[in-house]
Amino acid sequence: MIKAGQIDKGTALLIKGQPFVCIDREFVNPGKGSAFVRLKLKSPSTGQTLQETMKSQDNAEDITVVDRDCQYLYNDGENFHLMLTDNFEQIEVPMGNFPDYQYLMKDGETYRCTFWEAQLLEIQVPPKVVFFVAEAEEAVKGDTVQGATKYVTTETGLKVRVPIFIKQGERIRVNTETKEYLERVNN
Amino acid sequence: MKAAAKFRSILYRNIRSFFDERDYTEVDTPILSTTLIPESTIENFSTRFQNPFLPSTELYLVPSPEIFMKQLIARGLGSVYQIGHCFRNSEQLGHIHNPEFSMLEYYTVGADEEESIRITEELFASLLPKDSPKYLRPPFARLSVAEAMQQYAGVDLDKHQKQATLAQEAKRLGLTLPDEPESWEETFNRIFLTFVEPNLPQESPLVLERYPKQIECLAQQDGAYRRRWELYVKGVEVANCYDEDRDQATIQAYYRDEYARLVQKREESGTVIPDVDPSLASVFSAMPPCSGVAMGLDRLQMLLMGKSDLEGVILFPLSGMLTSGNTRNL
Repeated sequence: MIKAGQIDKGTALLIKGQPFVCIDREFVNPGKGSAFVRLKLKSPSTGQTLQETMKSQDNAEDITVVDRDCQYLYNDGENFHLMLTDNFEQIEVPMGNFPDYQYLMKDGETYRCTFWEAQLLEIQVPPKVVFFVAEAEEAVKGDTVQGATKYVTTETGLKVRVPIFIKQGERIRVNTETKEYLERVNN
Repeated sequence: MKAAAKFRSILYRNIRSFFDERDYTEVDTPILSTTLIPESTIENFSTRFQNPFLPSTELYLVPSPEIFMKQLIARGLGSVYQIGHCFRNSEQLGHIHNPEFSMLEYYTVGADEEESIRITEELFASLLPKDSPKYLRPPFARLSVAEAMQQYAGVDLDKHQKQATLAQEAKRLGLTLPDEPESWEETFNRIFLTFVEPNLPQESPLVLERYPKQIECLAQQDGAYRRRWELYVKGVEVANCYDEDRDQATIQAYYRDEYARLVQKREESGTVIPDVDPSLASVFSAMPPCSGVAMGLDRLQMLLMGKSDLEGVILFPLSGMLTSGNTRNL
């Protein structure tokens, strides 16, 4: 058991007998009310999301999870195919359980993954990732307004809004949580 | 950092000229107090006065300057305002929370909570940069708590004045309630914070008014509700206003009941139990009719700067001092 106030992003909980992972938590303290925590929870097996508001002092049932490294092999449009690096066992998970992850994960890259028993609960994509710019719109000639932006597509298919000086073939660092451009990476 | 510091400096100058032009007196009251107004839901910071020749005394950091400002009004100072620091102790460090925060409080003598809406609209108008987005601009939209509960959670508050039936409503909405009993207010907050607050309209600043009487505070009661409003801007709570209660018996009862609740809660949690001074009820009841507004200035600046996080608005947030570089999820 843990206190709801200790729940963090990535904490795995049992809600009505089903495992859920906290994907967002926000402390709320109404003007004249006790401390609450507003949770967004996701079921890794069904992708269902759930909203719960608990008092920081409420008890919640946390579950013991294990972190293991997985290599991302590919996706077939429906499932992600991953391989556990410690025993080379291959696993499949529905892409719907991890929306947008196909744009954040690179083929062949190893990610820390969280398991509860045999269930994959979380793929830990680093908060900042360097991507290769596969396609870039041409900057509009004569458009030298400061702060002008355009869209580029990374090798994973992620569309990112970048300053107009970014060209195809360059590398950029992206915040994977907000999917926002951070900086150009020089080779 | 530089931009935020400069922004704050101009913001304070503008706030001061707004109130000075309207003949309010700016006051400067203590942050350290020997007693606090009991508020069972607001955790406190305590420290100790130590002197080799006097008994050691526990002191408390004020969660709001209200306790002193009301004494000044009772002594006939008229309308007053203050910009100062307030302290609320809890485990929360979030993107819109910091245990130490800047607060503007203004009390208008002769005004009720309705008049305070008008003054706050004028204040907002005077602080807005040119071409500010519509979601910051007065006039404020208005919605009562009962209307909001009906609209966003389908709960008829008039029908659910008892915790037992409100708990049924919470379960109907799919919320999980703990096994141990809880107050009407706690169940209300679960529903409000899950279904209502995140969905409140954000096109204009919103005055959410007429709070349920079960949420104890020093705002005048009016039937099943209280003369209290909160201002939400872009979904963020930035101000709280009361038509101040001046009835000695009611204030005394509030002190007694709220302090009992506070002591019971904090004996369980082992947190700070402040001393209180119930004789202040007679001081507060000596005030002329007035309405007070408390506005969080860090949040106000955040909104005026178009940000959604206090990071970079508060110059030295406690989270930064507490964590050594790992601020993920804060």
